Amino acid sequence: MLLDVENLVVEVHGRQVLRGVNLHIGEGEVHVVMGPNAAGKSSLLASIMGLSKYRVVEGKIVFDGEDVTSKPSYERALKGIALSYQIPPSIKGLKVKDFVSAMLSKYKCSGDYFIAKMLGVDYLMDRYLFVGFSGGERKRMELYITLLQNPKLAMLDEPDSGVDIDSINRIVNAIRMLVERKTSILLVTHTGHILDKLVDKGGIDTVHLMMNGRIVFSGLPDEVIPLVFKYGYKKAVEKLQRLGQR
Amino acid sequence: MSEWLRRIRERAEKALDKRAKYGPDIDLSRYNKREPSDASDILRLASEPAKRIGLSEKEVSRAGYVQVDERIWYGIIVEGLKKQGVIVTSTGEALEKYPWVKDYYWRNIPVDLDKYTAAVELYSGGKGYFIYVPPGVKVKIPVYTCLLITSSWEAQFVHNIVIVGDGAELNLITGCAVPHKVAGALHIGVSEFYVGRNAKLSFAMIHAWGRGVHVRPRTSVRVMEGGSYVSYYLVHSDVASIQAYPSVRLDKNARTHTASIILGSSNSIYDIGSEAVLQGEGSSAEIVSRVIGRDESWIAARSRIKALASPSRGHIECLGLPLSKKATIIALPELESRIEGAELTHEAAIGKIAEEEIEYLMSKGFTEEEARALILRGFMRVEVPGLPLQTQRLIDATIKLLSEKATG
Repeated sequence: MLLDVENLVVEVHGRQVLRGVNLHIGEGEVHVVMGPNAAGKSSLLASIMGLSKYRVVEGKIVFDGEDVTSKPSYERALKGIALSYQIPPSIKGLKVKDFVSAMLSKYKCSGDYFIAKMLGVDYLMDRYLFVGFSGGERKRMELYITLLQNPKLAMLDEPDSGVDIDSINRIVNAIRMLVERKTSILLVTHTGHILDKLVDKGGIDTVHLMMNGRIVFSGLPDEVIPLVFKYGYKKAVEKLQRLGQR
Repeated sequence: MSEWLRRIRERAEKALDKRAKYGPDIDLSRYNKREPSDASDILRLASEPAKRIGLSEKEVSRAGYVQVDERIWYGIIVEGLKKQGVIVTSTGEALEKYPWVKDYYWRNIPVDLDKYTAAVELYSGGKGYFIYVPPGVKVKIPVYTCLLITSSWEAQFVHNIVIVGDGAELNLITGCAVPHKVAGALHIGVSEFYVGRNAKLSFAMIHAWGRGVHVRPRTSVRVMEGGSYVSYYLVHSDVASIQAYPSVRLDKNARTHTASIILGSSNSIYDIGSEAVLQGEGSSAEIVSRVIGRDESWIAARSRIKALASPSRGHIECLGLPLSKKATIIALPELESRIEGAELTHEAAIGKIAEEEIEYLMSKGFTEEEARALILRGFMRVEVPGLPLQTQRLIDATIKLLSEKATG
């Protein structure tokens, strides 16, 4: 396995956001996490990334054969974990092109110009990072940065929320590019559009449903996704769990 | 001595006790006013301080005008420039050789502005660079000038005059520095720049002074119709005190863009401003400053745009970033209009590096120090339209080094 999350309990400012999560992702696998707001989806991604306010109370995170539970986020990033933020911070003063050149020298990535074209972020290079970006520009830029890292595991936090249809197509293309590179993916999403496009390609291995800080059901996309869109999360989980017991 | 010069000297003598409006007052009598001497070992003396402002020995040897203490050396570039009719010499020599130079001598700045301008007239002995670019001549390669002080309790007085003829272009880079060993010194530089019609002048200054050095530049620029003046100023060292408030007067359709980057340290005092006077229709000005306060530094970033003609446009952007509990940053943007129809705006802010930004960059693989350096570098890196690529590169390299140093 590339990633093993075992019985992970995480607190933010003393409040539990993850209550014993188990998750195993193999090389090149695509996993989708779905669930209602505040279920802990973003917290799971942030905890795997090692963001400082997410304090691991119990359990461990093993990545690529190494226990990274107490490693700072930059070490995890250099080992091959990337997080594409749902809402990245605006960094006034830092030009996109300067940040990109720092990323390029760190990750020795090639083809950055092609990727920038594909995601339609090439015209943003002279802007300050995320300052005044539209929803779509922000998401595309985050994905671009993720691709520059050439990670082993790309965690994408709602890459398709709040963006127009043109951006979604570009974003789907970028995710497919990750899949082609055999990058493992952990994707948080609410919308069917992006899932349809990935399912079509037979791209999704497992869908996890999260509620109240736990993964309550994991299954194949064909069995889980239609039920979620038909009944909503709570009922879908009940039905799936009943099916599972039979 | 000719009559006009005698009158200037008289005015200077009367102003020798006249205190400046800003900055701590300096007792000029404490400093040696040396006579010029042999210039043979000037490059050797220049090499260490020049390194501090990012210039290699090779670059110094190619410079147009190098002045170490009171000794002057002209680089090889001067010969090449001669073919284009460009004159590079000292102001004193220019005054002797070319009678017309007196029409540019103390015409932008009154000699009795304060004791410092007065002292330059009385003690500079004709030192300082004089550069003349004939109309229509475009000098693309940046011309370097260096002013260096190498011995303690030295007072360096210079009077620079730059004339860019109509439709001509000149890019100047000036480095001022002292070696680390100099305990105390004084540098007073008067600069009078004349930018002709549709002419362009870019002026980049990089300053690395020392803990005991007082600095009082007095700069004034006149930009004629359709001309452009771009200035970039970077000071990144300790200094006893530096006080400057350069002024740019803009005729019809003339424009200016000035950037001041101040990286304050120790208990140094930096009082640095920039003024633009929009005196012609269609003139415009943009004044940008970035201030970082470390240690116990005290930094005032002044800026003023005065509109006397309309339509005209001006914008001030002044951003401060204290990195120490004991640093002081004062941002003082001033807008003044004496006419209807001028558009003047400003943005001033003093902030901090947001933890959220550091966290974000760390999650992208940067250590905390690297993340801070990236943010600082971004903060200090101001792109100034109109600076030649070579100049921008020198600045970028310096900024990169500084941002790495500043986080340590």
